[in-house]
Amino acid sequence: MTARRLPAGLFAALVVAACAAPFAVLALLSVADGWTFSAPWLTAWRLGRWREALAGDLASSTALSVALSLAVALASTAGGLATGRAVARCRHRRAWLWMAYLPFASSPVVLSVGLVVWWIRAGWAGTLGGVALAQLVFGYAYGVVFFASFWTPRLLAYGDLVRTLGGSAVQALRLGAWPVARSAAALCLAQTFLLSWFQYGLTLVVGQGRVSTLPVRVFAYVGEADAGLAAVASLVLVGPPLAMLWLNRRLLRVGMGDGG
Amino acid sequence: MKWLPVVRAVRVPWALVPFVALVGAPVALALATAAVLSVRDVAGRPSLAAWRAVLTEGEALGSLALSAFVATAVVALALGLALPLALALRDRVRRGIVGAALHAPLAVPAVVAAFVAFQLLTPSGIVGRWLVAAGVVGGMEGVPVVVNDRWAVGIVLAHVALAVPFLVLLLAELADSERLADLARLARTLGAGQRAVRWRVEVPVLLRAAVPQAALLWVAVLGSYEIPLLLGRQSPQMLSVLTLRTFERFDLADKPKAFVLAVLYALAVGAVLAVVLRRREAS
Amino acid sequence: MSFLSVTGLTRRFGAERVLDGATLAVDEGETLAVLGRSGSGKTTLLRIVAGLDTADPGGPGQAAGSVVLAGRALDGLPPEARGAVYLSQEPLLFPHLDVRGNVGFGLRVQGVPRAEADARVDAMLRELDLAPHAAKRADQLSGGQRQRVAFGRALAVRPRLLLLDEPFGALDAGTRTQMQGLFQRVARAHGITALFVTHDLKEALVVGDRFARIDAGRLVTYATRAAFAADAATGVADEVAFWTSLGEDAP
Repeated sequence: MTARRLPAGLFAALVVAACAAPFAVLALLSVADGWTFSAPWLTAWRLGRWREALAGDLASSTALSVALSLAVALASTAGGLATGRAVARCRHRRAWLWMAYLPFASSPVVLSVGLVVWWIRAGWAGTLGGVALAQLVFGYAYGVVFFASFWTPRLLAYGDLVRTLGGSAVQALRLGAWPVARSAAALCLAQTFLLSWFQYGLTLVVGQGRVSTLPVRVFAYVGEADAGLAAVASLVLVGPPLAMLWLNRRLLRVGMGDGG
Repeated sequence: MKWLPVVRAVRVPWALVPFVALVGAPVALALATAAVLSVRDVAGRPSLAAWRAVLTEGEALGSLALSAFVATAVVALALGLALPLALALRDRVRRGIVGAALHAPLAVPAVVAAFVAFQLLTPSGIVGRWLVAAGVVGGMEGVPVVVNDRWAVGIVLAHVALAVPFLVLLLAELADSERLADLARLARTLGAGQRAVRWRVEVPVLLRAAVPQAALLWVAVLGSYEIPLLLGRQSPQMLSVLTLRTFERFDLADKPKAFVLAVLYALAVGAVLAVVLRRREAS
Repeated sequence: MSFLSVTGLTRRFGAERVLDGATLAVDEGETLAVLGRSGSGKTTLLRIVAGLDTADPGGPGQAAGSVVLAGRALDGLPPEARGAVYLSQEPLLFPHLDVRGNVGFGLRVQGVPRAEADARVDAMLRELDLAPHAAKRADQLSGGQRQRVAFGRALAVRPRLLLLDEPFGALDAGTRTQMQGLFQRVARAHGITALFVTHDLKEALVVGDRFARIDAGRLVTYATRAAFAADAATGVADEVAFWTSLGEDAP
């Protein structure tokens, strides 16, 4: 394997550079002004593009995406926590897990083709609520898959123990399971947020082009051949996921330290 | 260790009702709708014309072949790159700047990856400019065409760039869970040299453990939309792109064909997922 | 009238009858040791008594059996209202609470006033030799200490009935003997009524005042220790024969 023959430091630097490259490209494009072929480097900068972009439609798309993704993430995590527990305790656990995997048996775009027929009949197509419900199909399913394996017999036994010590069902969840479930819920929240945040095809079809989330906006700028604006929008799009990933890594490290 | 047995009949699974209503029912309806509408013509009469058209016309089969080719190429290339990286980096994958750098691409969605790939790889893109500046090619016409090209090179490269960091992190986790270091040590005590340890222990153990995730990656690439939408040709198109384009065509007679494509896709992916799930449960 | 009366409990999982008309009676302050192999239905029996599972009707048109504790029918009552605490093989200490917090947990959820709860916890920690470990967390304790904390947590709420499901199964032989002795002492001191389920014959004989055997969901109770020992199915005779034969072989 050739990697071994490179000095370790140089090898690590190459890996870091390769991973950072997309962000560097976006940053460059976001401030490039008229970067024509065949100039290998920027000849003019336009920092004001950020101000213009954020003062325009980009800000509203960002706010829309944040609200939509938060709503879908909260609903998916809460639903996944409760339903995952029911699935873990159920005799026909495998059948319910199959149902949770079902949305992923089809790509969001392909599934949306069948979904939009019903959304149109219900009057939900082209609305924010309709897009949220469609995204929830995937988010909620993900939450169930996530928590079905989280609710181990041991964790369920804590709940039973609390009940026999005189606690109510709510106390069993709040005092017996929640201290352990807290960090898992935060992880699921982050991941379902990203599922919704990144969603493009499903949003486009179900939203019928009327719900302009951030990914839709990015593609619109690309379609308009405005690389600068598309780069700004792309950097805004990757911002929260980068923050989530950092938070995830911290939570994972803390979670491993607790030793549950 | 004996646990309280929690397998018990859920007599009134109220917590499962919202799940059925918000996930099971919509998905079942969507798939059933696609299946039913695929065997009806525009006037609603039963007809297999759409199925005949899709299965005999070159476009759908070409799309399926292209999608399968791209998915296979991505998985093979991504694993081929990620495996030596994971083995070379080992523990550094989890900590320090290398660990942080490997996590960063996970924040890049397909739509952004497609845009960046386009800006880099299109003949007038950044790589093309550097090739011209370095004197490797004379002008734009000398730059290799890897976007909107016949072999979907740009699509494959974009997907590989997204997949490799994820696979490196996954393989590092698998090296732990499969106790690769212990197995390697054992192999050494049995007389295996460094090369034999690498090719007879580390690589096969990791590849075997990575099969379920590799299958899921294959499925994800097969159904990808944003990257082939921006970087692919008009024909053949990958499955998701073709399905949506067919659905949105002005000619209503094409709509049943879109549903046929949706059903075919769901059947193919369902079969792959069934194998993956069975394997997961068995392990 | 018995303090605990279990009549005709049946439980099915699919086609399998895990419990088949189980009937038993336990007097106040008594420990009924229930001997049974894995999969014999002992855990299911305890879970139904605790309210963590429900019995099935015995047959078409039949009722689902009954559990009466201290003259009160428990059918339909949620677990927290029954006064029966369940202890399993795994101590299940809360990892986010220290020993004091674990022992006082049940008192907290039941809303016992702070001063009273603290006093009861302190007394329990002293009784179980846990006072020096009060500020420790679960991962800082040995297996025997963890099981003692679990005991203290159960006893602190003054349960009417203690349901023990092979509580010492995960401990080494020496610790196990210590814990059996601790259980006997504490049970007598507090007048505890208990159902103690185990697959270990010796443990059953040590901790039990009266005895029962469960096999394939069917429960057999014995009036006396002698009757229990005399039944070949319990394995007492085989055990005695084995230890006796060792003594004969010794030089």
